[in-house]
Amino acid sequence: MQRKLANVNMWTVSAAIIMILLFLPNLTIVKGIFTPSNENWAHMKEFVMGSFIKTSFILISATAILTIVIGLSLAWIIVQYDFPLRRFLKWTLILPLSIPPFIGAYTYHGIVNYTGVVQTTLRDQFGMSLNQSYFDIMNLPGAIFIYTMFLYPYVYTITRIFLSQQSASLIESARMLGKGSWRTFFQVVVPISRVSVIGGASLVVLEVLNDYGVVKYFGIQTFTTAIFQSWFGLGDIETSIKLAASLMGFVIIILMIEKLLRGRRQYSYSTTKVRPLQLIQLKGLKAFLATSYGLIILSLGFFIPIAQLIDWTILTFGTIPMSEFMSYVKNSVLVAGITATVIIIFALIVGNFSRLVHGKVANLLPKLSILGYSIPGAVIAVAVVTAFIGLDRFLAPLYQLMGINKTLVLSVSLIMLISAYIIRFFAIGYNSIESGYDKIGTDFRDASRLLGVGLTKTFFKVDLPMLKGAIISGFLLIFIDILKEIPLTLILRPFNFDTLSTKAFQYASDEKIMEASQASLLIVGISALAIYIFYKFLEKERD
Amino acid sequence: MKKVLYLFLTFALLVLTACGNDTTSKSTTNDTKETTESKEVNLYTARHYEVDDQLYAKFEEETGIKVNLIKGDADELLERIKREGDATPADLFLTADAGRLYRAKEDGLLQAVSSDLLDQQIPANYQDKDQMWYGLTKRARVLIYNKETVKPEDLSTYEALTEEQWKSRVLIRSSENIYNQSLVASFIEINGEEKTKEWARGLVANFAQTPQGGDRDQAKAIAAGIGDVAIMNSYYFGQMLNSMEPEEVKVAEGLGLFFPNQETTGTHVNVSGAGVVKTSKNKDNAIKLLEFLSAPEAQSTFAEANYEYPVNESVEPSELLKTWGEFKEQDISLSVLGDNNSKSILIFNEVGWK
Repeated sequence: MQRKLANVNMWTVSAAIIMILLFLPNLTIVKGIFTPSNENWAHMKEFVMGSFIKTSFILISATAILTIVIGLSLAWIIVQYDFPLRRFLKWTLILPLSIPPFIGAYTYHGIVNYTGVVQTTLRDQFGMSLNQSYFDIMNLPGAIFIYTMFLYPYVYTITRIFLSQQSASLIESARMLGKGSWRTFFQVVVPISRVSVIGGASLVVLEVLNDYGVVKYFGIQTFTTAIFQSWFGLGDIETSIKLAASLMGFVIIILMIEKLLRGRRQYSYSTTKVRPLQLIQLKGLKAFLATSYGLIILSLGFFIPIAQLIDWTILTFGTIPMSEFMSYVKNSVLVAGITATVIIIFALIVGNFSRLVHGKVANLLPKLSILGYSIPGAVIAVAVVTAFIGLDRFLAPLYQLMGINKTLVLSVSLIMLISAYIIRFFAIGYNSIESGYDKIGTDFRDASRLLGVGLTKTFFKVDLPMLKGAIISGFLLIFIDILKEIPLTLILRPFNFDTLSTKAFQYASDEKIMEASQASLLIVGISALAIYIFYKFLEKERD
Repeated sequence: MKKVLYLFLTFALLVLTACGNDTTSKSTTNDTKETTESKEVNLYTARHYEVDDQLYAKFEEETGIKVNLIKGDADELLERIKREGDATPADLFLTADAGRLYRAKEDGLLQAVSSDLLDQQIPANYQDKDQMWYGLTKRARVLIYNKETVKPEDLSTYEALTEEQWKSRVLIRSSENIYNQSLVASFIEINGEEKTKEWARGLVANFAQTPQGGDRDQAKAIAAGIGDVAIMNSYYFGQMLNSMEPEEVKVAEGLGLFFPNQETTGTHVNVSGAGVVKTSKNKDNAIKLLEFLSAPEAQSTFAEANYEYPVNESVEPSELLKTWGEFKEQDISLSVLGDNNSKSILIFNEVGWK
């Protein structure tokens, strides 16, 4: 009883408020499950649903497996071994994340299509006649390739931070017990990094489920396509919301599987000494293989598309006035920075709440609040618009009192856009922070509490310093994600507010991919810079 | 603990019901009369071309009226206007498809405007019959063919593309695309639903590949030998001929443009157009902008920079468009494109046009 009472404090109250606010707009979707179905729904079920579900399933499972294989193996190699270019690869391997998948898709198609550099060279320089099917990437395997190359860093980053910060003693014990590298990997590393691997992979899966740009361009029909088709094509938002609700149900299943796979095991620090692993020096062929592996992945996910973007930028340079770009850069960085900060603060509060309070409600609520990530951006946008317009109408008398002669105030401001971002990307921040909390466990907190230090002070003195890595990687992931974000920004931004991604998207959707290259390069440049700065910061912290 | 949570849930639900209930906001409509002499116009546009921005800048310069822009996808903008209801800041809705204009009208989002200047500059068949929206530029959905393997004499109509000789030779982008939806919608009007379904089934059977990519990609697929004839938007072909990438120009130069159905029902034409939003607070400015965009100067800018056909008959198409020649257009009211839009989606799904 006493424990229960102790739990009602600033932390639980604010956590509850945050989670409810995050979940509110999604209620529109949940409501959709209960609306009676109409003939469009029947039509969808009869003609397209089966193949849409199958395609989505293949797409997400193949992408999940590939990103896990690539992300985990890279993280392990970087954490365990020393080889040429290791320090360089360690942070550059995150860079593919800076390329929005739809830009990646347009770019790769640009490279390999009939007029692209590969075929033109083969044709003109070598006089080869080419079988087009070898160069066709606008299909399911092509989409899997695109998503894998541009999303694997989710798994890589989260796993690498986990392995490099906490596993040293476990892995070194395994080594001392005479286990070889492979056995250490499969018997120790894979099991202990399961939480972060699955956390990263679930972000990948949700991102794929939500993406519309790549599948639309490639002509692949997925669940998301069906949502858009029934909404915009049939003008039937009810069917579309029903579909979104089914998708949400599916995501809940994924999250439950994640929870099951994670099991009851907890790997928190057993000592206060958290130290990095002693690197094993690779030599000869092994060193060469490790370096090449990293470089190949990095080239596919970063250098090759970037080279093409640079080429296009040179071709089209001067056609778009440079001055405009400065405001796009400013806008992009502003909204991304604000949102990332707010999300991290919210995630810290909710994460701390879910760690401190046990019981079904406490475990379930944070899960619900990250559902935003499973709903297609456009659907969230409508839910958020509805909520904000309602709020504006509710507050209208107040506005009048304040001398503002308008009904829509909040809903035509950046606040609405940023709120939608928070709902959408809370999962990214939360996943990061949660794995951070998982890692530090509650022993240190309990010790601190036993010594009579208050909850809040304990949080700042004990937990926060240990969470630094999680906070920084979470912030980074959100920041970059928002720089790349499309549907929400397009629909919810205020008048005359363009970001780099809306600009890039507009060109790309008009099939002017060459003109889109300049804005895309700036997105990549800013993300890369952010990654670099945070990486340097992290390095310094560790020394 | 639980109690607190339940308390919050109840509170949240209360807020939600308050939000969802539109009747709570009755009194908020009359606060909008303040703008008698406003110097701005709020435009929701689904067109995002550089040339449009230049025209708005010019409009600002000439009239001193500031054009505020929200650009986005047509459907999403429509949804936003709908949600914002009578408090929407939107004055003018501009999009690149008549079907969407029709939907805006059907949803009660537009209002009728009358302007002698507009009637003079825009022919009646490119206006909504209730003057709810006005067309501004035209695009034709034409056949683009491989000059090596196809003679113009081989081509005749869209319907003929379902014949045996075109087996595995026809290219077109996915049914997701509004241009295809409107094309099929026009067929439903002209040939009826059953015949259109037959036609779509026949076309799918003759596809050279599963639909993928954009319009330009169809042209490239011809050059690559995947197929021989593509259904494409005329303005993309113009852009390829003027592309900054030499390879693309090379591809386009190997291709010919054919206006189908000249002997029968005419080539399918769609428009970009705009309508004044019902609750517009800057109606006069919105009409001024419409008049400006349909005036000869803006019309020739559209044609020159974007390879679109002007709707204003006093304006000549650009040099490039003239080389393609004159053509007979489908003689249907463009409103039917919107009317039949969902029927076309159902047909696509049924015949397996991805």
